[in-house]
Amino acid sequence: MDNRIRELRARHNLTQDDLARRVGVRRETIVFLEKGKYNPSLKLAWDIAKVLETSIEEVFIFEENLDQSG
Amino acid sequence: MKKSYLLIFMALAVVFTTGVWLFTTGFAVSQLGVIKFGVIGLLFAFALFIVFSRFKSERRGEPAEDELSKKIMMKASSLAFYISIYFWLGLMYYSDREPDEPRHLIGMGILGMAVIFAVCWLVIRWRGIKNG
Repeated sequence: MDNRIRELRARHNLTQDDLARRVGVRRETIVFLEKGKYNPSLKLAWDIAKVLETSIEEVFIFEENLDQSG
Repeated sequence: MKKSYLLIFMALAVVFTTGVWLFTTGFAVSQLGVIKFGVIGLLFAFALFIVFSRFKSERRGEPAEDELSKKIMMKASSLAFYISIYFWLGLMYYSDREPDEPRHLIGMGILGMAVIFAVCWLVIRWRGIKNG
């Protein structure tokens, strides 16, 4: 699963610390997410999408979707 | 916060017990004893690292543990338990071949389990969790 957290976070002028505090996780979790080393729970994915003012599908790209687009 | 203090207490209890052990042996430690002290020192450093990162998160206004840290802990625990079964089997085989005092074997077993857990935690943290 790929994601656009870093890109959308930059668009909202949010630091990793800001995003972590707003979704209630540690900064380390945001780092892991951006590096693609962790797939979040549905609750966390929902919270991140809400903070970034978009939908889950816009933030997280499943491999099946990647195959279709490529 | 309470859990962080509990971790500090446990780490200090281990250091205190090691100190008492060292004192009662009159500071005459065998080569194996030196290795054991080294391993205990490394485990103490590992505990301090975990406590320090928890305090750092709390100071930043973040939770001390979240879904990622809990998953890493859970996965490391289950993997360490699985590996430990084989470690104990190895120890039993060793004790059959070279009989030793049971308390030494139990001490080595507990120390080995702690090392296995620390290694599993570090490896899982380094590799990340992708839910299959």
